[in-house]
Amino acid sequence: MENKQTMIEVQDLCKSFHKLEVLKHISTNFYKNEVVSIIGPSGGGKSTFLRCLNLLEKPTSGKIIFDGTDICDKRQNKNIDLHRQKMGMVFQQFNLFNNMDVMRNLTVAPMRIKKMPKDEAESKAIELLKKVGLADRVSAYPSQLSGGQKQRIAIVRSLMMDPEVMLFDEPTSALDPEMIGEVLDVMKALAADGMTMIVVTHEMRFAREVAARTIFLADGKIEEDKPSHELFDNPESPRLVSFLQKVL
Amino acid sequence: MTFFETIGKIIERYSSFFAQGVVNTLIIAAFSVLLGTILGTLMATMRMGKILPLKWLAVAYIEFIRGTPLMVQLMFIFYGLPMIGVKIPDISWIPNFSRFAAGIVAMSMNSCAYVAEVIRSGIQAVDYGQTEAARSVGFSSGEAMRLVVLPQAIRNILPALGNEFVTVIKESSIVSVIGIADLMFRTNDVIALSYKSLECLAVAALIYFVLTFISSRIVSLAERKLSHGK
Repeated sequence: MENKQTMIEVQDLCKSFHKLEVLKHISTNFYKNEVVSIIGPSGGGKSTFLRCLNLLEKPTSGKIIFDGTDICDKRQNKNIDLHRQKMGMVFQQFNLFNNMDVMRNLTVAPMRIKKMPKDEAESKAIELLKKVGLADRVSAYPSQLSGGQKQRIAIVRSLMMDPEVMLFDEPTSALDPEMIGEVLDVMKALAADGMTMIVVTHEMRFAREVAARTIFLADGKIEEDKPSHELFDNPESPRLVSFLQKVL
Repeated sequence: MTFFETIGKIIERYSSFFAQGVVNTLIIAAFSVLLGTILGTLMATMRMGKILPLKWLAVAYIEFIRGTPLMVQLMFIFYGLPMIGVKIPDISWIPNFSRFAAGIVAMSMNSCAYVAEVIRSGIQAVDYGQTEAARSVGFSSGEAMRLVVLPQAIRNILPALGNEFVTVIKESSIVSVIGIADLMFRTNDVIALSYKSLECLAVAALIYFVLTFISSRIVSLAERKLSHGK
């Protein structure tokens, strides 16, 4: 386990919405090439935590150090957009751009933000689409795709920006059961390629099999944070024991 | 003479009256729609923006305009304001400039409040996830708005905006009370000359209907052009 290169360091992170404390003093590290899953009961702060990592939610206090800069500190992190380009995000509701076809969904960001030439962006898009088995849908609009297809394309859209880390916010929760597999397969392939991934999920099998480490988050606190097999096989805290009894 | 024969006669004899009325109605409506849309866009931007004093100003303006009758607003501008010295000057080479200007100002100030609400609700109806996804790949909030939200909002905005245009054409009949020779004003002239109020009003109604029908067709055509990819 030595030689681990820290990618994101979270220190004492708190987030409140008005009086409601959602995250209470969270501290943990994420390492390069690591796949971490975050599990826990609804309303426990999993999504909020993930959204804080790319500042879709502004943390109330604490530090998030990414590539050596504290992204919560406005003096150090002058350009949030630049920082977000290095973090891919996949949403529960896919959020493909409804006004664009698949090709444009994939190429608009690299072309506009990274000034990638059109033909280069398009051939990259095709190549990635082939990997997820959707090369034939380049000219479809989001409304013509199934949920599973949308989510696979949403993953490709993030990959187009060559992110250093991918955040997944319950990527399979809005899918019909028979489509969950195709999305998980794409995620497994990504993990095998060495992508750094942080996955908020209700898929306990995915957490156990693919993620090296699992964090159990309940009531805004990290209850347990350890290698997945240990967490699932020997849960310590009573909260986790009762949670696992309900979901497994 | 039957009803329809009388109508035929009236159109034949007084067509120049109606034609002039239509031209003036269209002038008032076109300028009001144009200015109302520009000002309404501005007002919606202020209302949704982050600068609080401007936001409050926009909210107060929109609420006030929508909560008072157009008739009062029009008469306030044309009869009221000159009492405190705010007067629109006459321009010699445009006949009746001050009346037209007052009519257009009142109509567009009124329409702008409604347009602002149409635009705001159209933008807010676009799922916030679209903005978040655009921000998450690294677009700025301006780019997210321009590339992702606005193109989708247009589809929500356009039908309601089309309704607003049609409303402006109809509501413009109110400017006849400050002596602008629009279609309604000219219809009254023809009634005074012919004593045939029922038939004259029927003609006026028909003309208004043709105007609004044509404009709503144009709007729905534009809608259809924008609707693919939905």
